[in-house]
Amino acid sequence: MNILFTLKEGMINLKRARLSAVVSILSISLALSLIGISLLAGENLRDIFDRVYQQVEIEVFLQPGVNAGKIKQLRKKLARDTRVTKVIYISREKALEEFQKNFGEDLSTIIEENPLPASFRIILDPANASPKLIEKFVAQISQYPEVQEVLYQKEIINFLHKYFRIAAIAASLFALLLFVVITILIFNTIRLTIHSRRDIIQIMRLVGATNWFIKSPFLIEGMIQGIAGGIIASGILYLFTNLVRDIIFPRLLVPDYMNWFLLGIGIFLGWIGSYISVNRYLDY
Amino acid sequence: MIEFFNVSVKSKNRLILREINLKIRKGEFVYLIGKTGAGKTTLLRLIYMDLIPTAGNVLVDKFSSSNIRKREIPYLRRKVGVIFQDFKLLPDRNVYENVAFSLRVIGKSRREVKSRVLSVLTQVGLNHKRYHKYHMLSGGEKQRVAIARALINEPFILLADEPTGNLDPEASKDILNLLEKINKSGTAVCMATHNYKLITWAPHRTLLMEDGFIKQEIDPDNLNQILEL
Ligand SMILES: Nc1ncnc2c1ncn2[C@@H]1O[C@H](COP(=O)(O)OP(=O)(O)OP(=O)(O)O)[C@@H](O)[C@H]1O
Ligand SMILES: [Mg+2]
Repeated sequence: MNILFTLKEGMINLKRARLSAVVSILSISLALSLIGISLLAGENLRDIFDRVYQQVEIEVFLQPGVNAGKIKQLRKKLARDTRVTKVIYISREKALEEFQKNFGEDLSTIIEENPLPASFRIILDPANASPKLIEKFVAQISQYPEVQEVLYQKEIINFLHKYFRIAAIAASLFALLLFVVITILIFNTIRLTIHSRRDIIQIMRLVGATNWFIKSPFLIEGMIQGIAGGIIASGILYLFTNLVRDIIFPRLLVPDYMNWFLLGIGIFLGWIGSYISVNRYLDY
Repeated sequence: MIEFFNVSVKSKNRLILREINLKIRKGEFVYLIGKTGAGKTTLLRLIYMDLIPTAGNVLVDKFSSSNIRKREIPYLRRKVGVIFQDFKLLPDRNVYENVAFSLRVIGKSRREVKSRVLSVLTQVGLNHKRYHKYHMLSGGEKQRVAIARALINEPFILLADEPTGNLDPEASKDILNLLEKINKSGTAVCMATHNYKLITWAPHRTLLMEDGFIKQEIDPDNLNQILEL
């Protein structure tokens, strides 16, 4: 097998159907850019939500009369839990102090004894911050005899989670649609090249080229289109992200794997599209 | 070497070849003649297995049409040279490249290609024009390039489907001379032609086809028979 020859013929193929190849590459770049943008949107949404989740506190109110030793033990246990990032102990006195600061009222003037229980404020690792996992965690904590009640902002978390999932599904469907579009674009340009090169294909058959040898330049051509589309899309996305950072959202997160991802998708779909085309129009 | 056993070809419910029995021996020279539509091209296509018979069997060297696999066909083609009336060359490449192409596409290295191409171009008398562009060649020269390409893998048979159809009498005679020379060096030739004059110049076994079958074999010593056709 002669890789150089195959590559060269693949390039000649590209030159032959130059206009349709250019149109196809540009459309592929555009589609890949849109895939990149939906990926960016997903990653940034996730990032924003992570930050929100990081601020969700789970308040664990303790039974009255739990002694200091038990509290210390419980604190250690919580801190050792891998799902937990942070544990803060709020003593009864501290709770009263905060209450007064928040409401400007001195409870001790109304009631003689401090009615507020001691508590832990827990922040979970965002990786474990899905509604289900939080619920499970809360249910576990509630079992401890020292614990009276566990409270957290269940509704907000559920709400965010639901909409994040809807957005993620929509973005995935959109990306999938674009995958199909790219595949069809490549399929179609390869079909056109095959048509424009039917004479040379006939000659190759005549002189005893193997079917694989006849097909491979077209597969290469499809992959070249995918690579070119990926590179251009990376460029477009680079400009796009800089623009977004400059004018709307300075802390835009761009994943490192972005360019490789676009290139990989481009090559993969280039291969798939040309593979289907070649097997449809070049199998005898 | 080539043998047809009761070969029929059906297309769209019409028999275009019927019950052909034929043997072409090693190093033989055979003409196929007959009116247009008689089935000459179809018969040649069966030999390089561009077409598989509807019934019967074609044996070519060690390949049999009844059980050849698709991926074996390229290897058969390397042993069967084919030329056409319209040359089927690549107009965007020069003489050398046109011939070299057929070796490149079967995976031969550049170095191997070069010596083979030069020797076969010498054989057809075109070595001095090896860098000429396609459009600078006369019809006869184009056919020589096609012949060079067909010979590059040293086939045991050269199939020629009206090789002189686009050529003037002078060039036609040249091509026929070249085919005879090739035949003398041991390669069988099977040539379909309407040009009966050529047969009188270089008489060989001649098969007359009509309506999809071989009507008769014409005795080369009885050339008047051909001229009467
Ligand atoms: N692919 C095909 N499909 C259907 N019919 C075909 C096909 N190829 C050839 N034929 C028919 O088969 C018959 C024989 O054709 P063929 O080309 O073999 O004749 P030929 O002797 O080579 O004629 P010519 O001298 O004009 O080249 C003709 O009637 C033709 O119409
Ligand atoms: Mg014909």
